[in-house]
Amino acid sequence: MKQYDLELLKIGKVYPGGNVAVEAFDLQVEPGEFISFVGPSGCGKTTTLRMIAGLEDITSGKLLIRGKDYTHVPAERRPTATIFQNYAIFPHMTVRENIGFGLDVRGIGTEEKRRRVGAIIDKLHLGDVADAKETSLSGGQKQRLALARGLVTEPDMLLLDEPLGALDANLRKSIQEELKLLQRSLNITFVFVTHAQSEALSMGDRVVVMNAGRVEQISAPFELYTRPKSPFVARFIGRNSLFSGTLAGAGNDRAVVETPFGPLQGTPAFQASEAKSGSDAMVVVPSEYVEIDGAGSRAADTSFDTIDGVVGSIDRVGQLAYPTVALDDGRSLRLETYADKIAGRGVEPGGRVTLRWRPARATVVLDQQPSA
Amino acid sequence: MHHLVGLRWLLGLYTALFIAFLYGPFAVMAILSFQQGPEGGPQFPIREWSTFWYQHVMGLAPPSRIAPLPIAEALTRSLSLAFATMVVSTVLGTLTAQAFRTRFKGSGVVFYLVVLGMMVPGVLLGLGMALVADQLGIDRSWWGTAFVLHVVYTYPFAFLVMLAIFNRFDRSVEEAAWSLGVPPARTFRKVTFPMIFPGVLSAMLFALTLSYDEFPRTLFTAGSDVTMPIAIYGTFAVEIHPNLFAFGILTTLFSFAVLTVYGILMGLSTRRARARFSDMQEDIA
Repeated sequence: MKQYDLELLKIGKVYPGGNVAVEAFDLQVEPGEFISFVGPSGCGKTTTLRMIAGLEDITSGKLLIRGKDYTHVPAERRPTATIFQNYAIFPHMTVRENIGFGLDVRGIGTEEKRRRVGAIIDKLHLGDVADAKETSLSGGQKQRLALARGLVTEPDMLLLDEPLGALDANLRKSIQEELKLLQRSLNITFVFVTHAQSEALSMGDRVVVMNAGRVEQISAPFELYTRPKSPFVARFIGRNSLFSGTLAGAGNDRAVVETPFGPLQGTPAFQASEAKSGSDAMVVVPSEYVEIDGAGSRAADTSFDTIDGVVGSIDRVGQLAYPTVALDDGRSLRLETYADKIAGRGVEPGGRVTLRWRPARATVVLDQQPSA
Repeated sequence: MHHLVGLRWLLGLYTALFIAFLYGPFAVMAILSFQQGPEGGPQFPIREWSTFWYQHVMGLAPPSRIAPLPIAEALTRSLSLAFATMVVSTVLGTLTAQAFRTRFKGSGVVFYLVVLGMMVPGVLLGLGMALVADQLGIDRSWWGTAFVLHVVYTYPFAFLVMLAIFNRFDRSVEEAAWSLGVPPARTFRKVTFPMIFPGVLSAMLFALTLSYDEFPRTLFTAGSDVTMPIAIYGTFAVEIHPNLFAFGILTTLFSFAVLTVYGILMGLSTRRARARFSDMQEDIA
């Protein structure tokens, strides 16, 4: 049997009051994988991370780390290290003491301890502040200290709880890259919790999208972006246009949804056998695949799906253009395109336009209430 | 703007009065403590400045018709009692506050039961304790019955101080220690305790000062070996001499000394970080 670094077998958490925080979370993580958990606040992503860390009781299911059952093992005996959103630096210790603290209980000799602390201080560029305390550290330094303190204990995996949330945008970008490089060079599993989809998509080898305590989808970033499996993911990730209707038919690589705009097609995100005709479904079209033309400016092409609308306004940012198009059902879509792609095509405020896309780019998802 | 100026004057006056009433009695006492002795009485005018009464308190004055204050042993008792109370109340208060960090069944009731200890009128509690002790055939003593009541009285203060400290305490720091593999007991010693130490100092100060001059509870429960406040009260019944004032000044100076130690420890526990860092910066420069 294959050895996973981390396995969640239907783990769940119910609070004593009966509130369900996380439900039947299933996940297998390969060694050295970078996994992102993303979802709106309160979706259970941090709770799940804390269950892996041993800081939150697991009320159902099993947690395996490298094949060993850790479901009810307390935090201090788990081979994980956790990076907290506020870094949780020990304020009364220097940077060096903070880093060495986790080694004191491991029966490591003084010389070895000094070597390991020194090495990690060099690796994370903390040499200048090695004898300073938390109050004199910058946000980025605290972040690196939190990493150093966790990594020096040589954990099997690193658990990061929104570690970039407290940093400003520029720093966040550069630390994202540093983190990614660090993970590649250490080659240990990272589990990374964030509420920012861009962060989850750019850092994760795979992304777990959570909503209301449940896993909505686990996919590689590109697949998540182009092939959402549920209406929630379609709305939460990327910039998609959604058209609801009822399923008219489904094959293995093509499904048809009867919408107020006529039949629209897409690749089904489900097995043909799972879905009955007539059930609620949605066509999801990533907005970058939508072409926009003045009505009648192009010969009809049956290999595209089309809908009509009226341009409301066009925002321009440099060479990008964001036309807002009012549809016949009263909704308006904000699309993204290049200014020169719509130039001379009759796309003007107040003008009628046709939106078209290749059905292969669209995805059909079932719009079912999640089964309880 | 105009009415604000008036308000400022009013508040200034209020503050001045507050300070006058706080230090007035103390100043009068300080002046009279330097009254000439042994003939000089506890009133103005000062006949002649002298340190006679200070010598008298310390037992250094030549024998006179004024009996020495019967406080030497009482003072030792009060200090021992205050110290023991401080240690026990602070330990109990800290542990109880630690327990209150997580909600448990009946925590509301337990909270009020604990805090009641500082609310119940001391005279009644002292009297009740004396009755219970007599019923059970326990001898009343400063180190027994009185000590128990001192703890009952000061422990809620220590508990409330520590509760406030824990309310602002960031739990994730402890979680970080656990997740680094450090067991909870060691985490408490090495992480939690150093961080709550300023609060522990405050709780100790409260317990110490409250116990040191506790009167109503001790009056009924200390038995025949009395504590300092009771001994002083006993001397009022005879005749008041300025040696009491001299003693008052000395004991106040002692309180200031305790406060200074508190301040220094407090400063050390918060300032060390900055000092060390600026040293380091100088080294680099």
